[in-house]
Amino acid sequence: MQGSPKKYQKRVSYFQLCNGLFLLVLILVMIIPLINVWAVSFSSGISSMEPGVKLWPADFSVSGYQRVWQTLELWRPFFNNVLVTVIGTAAHVLLASMAGYVLIHPKLVGRKIIVSMIMITMMVPAEAIMIPLYIVNKELGLLDTLASLVISGLISGFSILLMRNYFLSVPYSLAESAQMDGASDFKIFRKVYMPMSVPGLATIMLFEFVSRWNQFTPALLYINSPEKYTLQLALMSLIVPDDATSSGDFFANNVQMAGIMIAMIPLLVIYPFVQKYFIRGINLGATKE
Amino acid sequence: MNLWKTVKRHYSLYLMLLPILVYFIIFTYYPLVRGFIISLQEFQMIGRGPFIGFQNYLEVLRDPQFIQVTINTFMISGGILIVGFVFPIIIALSLNEVMQSVFKRFTQTVIYLPHLFSWVIVGGIWIFILSPDGGLINEILTWFGKEESIHFLVREDYARPIMIASAIWKDAGYTCILYLAAIVSINPSLYEAADMDGAGILQKMRYVTLPQLVPTMKIVLLLNIMGILRIFDQVYVLSNSAIANEVDVFMTYTYEKGILQFQMGIASAAAFLVLLMTLLLTFVTRKLIRYDEGM
Repeated sequence: MQGSPKKYQKRVSYFQLCNGLFLLVLILVMIIPLINVWAVSFSSGISSMEPGVKLWPADFSVSGYQRVWQTLELWRPFFNNVLVTVIGTAAHVLLASMAGYVLIHPKLVGRKIIVSMIMITMMVPAEAIMIPLYIVNKELGLLDTLASLVISGLISGFSILLMRNYFLSVPYSLAESAQMDGASDFKIFRKVYMPMSVPGLATIMLFEFVSRWNQFTPALLYINSPEKYTLQLALMSLIVPDDATSSGDFFANNVQMAGIMIAMIPLLVIYPFVQKYFIRGINLGATKE
Repeated sequence: MNLWKTVKRHYSLYLMLLPILVYFIIFTYYPLVRGFIISLQEFQMIGRGPFIGFQNYLEVLRDPQFIQVTINTFMISGGILIVGFVFPIIIALSLNEVMQSVFKRFTQTVIYLPHLFSWVIVGGIWIFILSPDGGLINEILTWFGKEESIHFLVREDYARPIMIASAIWKDAGYTCILYLAAIVSINPSLYEAADMDGAGILQKMRYVTLPQLVPTMKIVLLLNIMGILRIFDQVYVLSNSAIANEVDVFMTYTYEKGILQFQMGIASAAAFLVLLMTLLLTFVTRKLIRYDEGM
């Protein structure tokens, strides 16, 4: 059973070596394209067009950023994006937690029906109803407004169920005793449940922030006027030259990569928090009825 | 009477639920019904078109372009499904063997990163690194003596593999973290018992770790199945006229028919067929992997 300890040791380290190499290759595959983008974005127009593997800016220059931000006015879609993301995320978190709170009350009449109604919406991908959604937005006069983008995905069954699962971990006796003291349901929600659920709120807020920031299909469907473009839409016409939205302009690599960097920065800023709450969110979401 | 009393007692709760229910009715249930009605009509710009039964569905099913996007969707999504299922397990098993926690954390951080980015960002990066003039991949290929640049994104033979590879690049890290979270929660005594029996690294992976990951595998598989027919952004960003025939999928077909060509009846019929297929696939998968049992 003991075998030869020395031989065993050797085999382990050989395995560890291969394993480490595999992961190293993986890391390089993931990270080199990103470094490449970063390096080119900080190069001058001319050097960004020259051949060669670029992992460091050839001649440190912010001309790409200047051009994309000011000349091409990426600041406008950027701030549209900020607006839609902030309002959309705040409303999403509030509505999802409100619904989640309501659904923890065991005596609520019709709770089962409401839960199944919410779960059915999770089975219907927004893409599959894009045509009627377009028509609904048109009929409500929402086409070509930023409001249509805030409304798209304003509530999701996933967030509601996640918040409900989080609230279920708060002892229900707290709600009951507050009720005895004459507190209204909304007050209990605001004063008892919300403060005790900061990690849960943070989780859906971060998820929602990321998906809002990246929201593309609704913008593609509903937005026409360039001054209402969101970041992803503007980026699309920047990187795909034969796209219908672009006027056939030619953009140097450093300009395109600067645009990509600008779209990535807010996501990179919140990334440490996303990492912190990600697993928690998954575990909550996976808890079944 | 009693029922009414309880409803009345909780009226503020219903009030809090009201915006959510109204939202779902206007933006999910009504569009579902409306979409189905449109799919049965001959679409007219003004006024209501006459009902034509399942004519639109027949037209979609007879459309060679729809047949082509069906093949494309299943080839691309099938590839993403299989590779995207197996590869993250390999990475997770491999990462689990890493002893240095700094290296482990760093790897996790790096591989999860692209999942945060939109398909416009990821597509932009891929278009850039695959570019024939000075793109990263072609530059690296010159080290191996390749003189002529490969025009990756306009070559039909590369089109589908590139779709699959870019999807894996974006999302493998995410799935991998799900597995890692499951591995962490495996009872250590199982490994101790395996050690006592003299099991090696690979045997422990095969007989301890993998079986313990089955519940996570089921969730991942089901989530992926539910998503495969809806891919849109990725293809919209990476497709171009040279490879459209190889990569256009259900949702780009719907978008093109409905929004660009204004054939709303046809587009809605196609979308409903996709919805039906998704439900069917989900149902069959749930049964096959016995999702509802022993979870």
